[in-house]
Amino acid sequence: MTHNHPKPPLAYNELRDVIDLSLWAGQMLLQHGAASQRVEETIHHLGTGLGCDWIDILVSPNVIIVTTSSGQEFRTKLRRVVRFGVNLWVVTAVNDLSRRVTAGQMDRHQVRQALAEIDQEPLQYNRWLTVVMVGLACAAFSRLFAGDWPVFGITFLAAAVAMFVRQELSRRHFNPNLVVIIVAFIAGLIASNAALFRLSLTPNTALISAVLLLVPGVPLINAADDLLKGHLIMGIARGVTGLIVSLAIALGLLLAMRLLGVSGL
Amino acid sequence: MTVSALLADAFWSAVAALGFAILFNIPKRTLWACALMGATGYTLRAVLLNLGLTIELATLTGATAIGFLGALLARRFHMPVVIFTIPGAIPLVPGTFAFRTMIGILQLTNQNLLDDALILTEATTNGIKTGLILAALAAGIAAPKLLFQRRKPVV
Repeated sequence: MTHNHPKPPLAYNELRDVIDLSLWAGQMLLQHGAASQRVEETIHHLGTGLGCDWIDILVSPNVIIVTTSSGQEFRTKLRRVVRFGVNLWVVTAVNDLSRRVTAGQMDRHQVRQALAEIDQEPLQYNRWLTVVMVGLACAAFSRLFAGDWPVFGITFLAAAVAMFVRQELSRRHFNPNLVVIIVAFIAGLIASNAALFRLSLTPNTALISAVLLLVPGVPLINAADDLLKGHLIMGIARGVTGLIVSLAIALGLLLAMRLLGVSGL
Repeated sequence: MTVSALLADAFWSAVAALGFAILFNIPKRTLWACALMGATGYTLRAVLLNLGLTIELATLTGATAIGFLGALLARRFHMPVVIFTIPGAIPLVPGTFAFRTMIGILQLTNQNLLDDALILTEATTNGIKTGLILAALAAGIAAPKLLFQRRKPVV
């Protein structure tokens, strides 16, 4: 950055708006599955694009802390972040917003309006389409694991029902780890039928494939990405999240298998 | 490995990537690209595994392909690269290894001593494999940025 053309200093209340908006954008990114590097860069671009000289950012697992400075003035604020599901539409929208701000196409008030709209946007896909497609995705995995057609059918049924239950439980704000255990249990109960009724020569493929909708792929990939880029605390926290979710899947699945007396995996 | 087996792998991994793309609420006009990403990474890895590469190296190569293809698509769509790399990486995520590790650890509590050693070895192997495959996946996806888009850090 060149300092030949210093930015006009922002008033105290303007700094307040900048910090609010950049924190809000950062919170949305972190909650919906962006890696730490992207969160920090986006906050930085947004804040400096809105007129402050510099931004310091601390992204940690449950909170974002930001200090904005302009001329002699500075302000610091923190914002709590809770874990949400992965929503890459939101990540795209916020990214696009920061790009437009950097290009000088938006002022503070327009940014506030745009962020509120992103927040209100419903999911892009109908929930039943999601249920069917997630069921199909898990069934597709059973094909990749060399399962036969009966396994394909049972996996589809188990994963689709599991996805439906997951939507229902999440909507009622159950603890996310509890949701994973229950959903894995239900998927396991349905998928066990392949073994119970000897519907297939490779019945255990159904058990493994049916719970894949729960695999914490995004936390695990982000954990490795964070560690690689030096965000150690975030990487460790996300890795532990991934471990706990994997443990919850194993618990639910084992519970279903013990209950029905299905063995071997 | 026959051509029809390869095509089947490509098709089913595309379906898997598509399902997860919808679960992750991907912008609608990028859906076909996400399916393509899933098929590319998984099929490339399957070919390399078939040639005798280890799963870690094969994953690294597949993920690097995803990283570069994702960077191209991100430029074409003017969208962040994660939109393409995350669904593309999903078929490569060692999910089965991860919860096999956990199942092994849970089983340690109710076995006799003789089986314990076997289960512990298996759980440890699965755990290490999970970590290595994930590291390969993340490094491969980040490869274009790590190699060609180096900048002085802004934050």
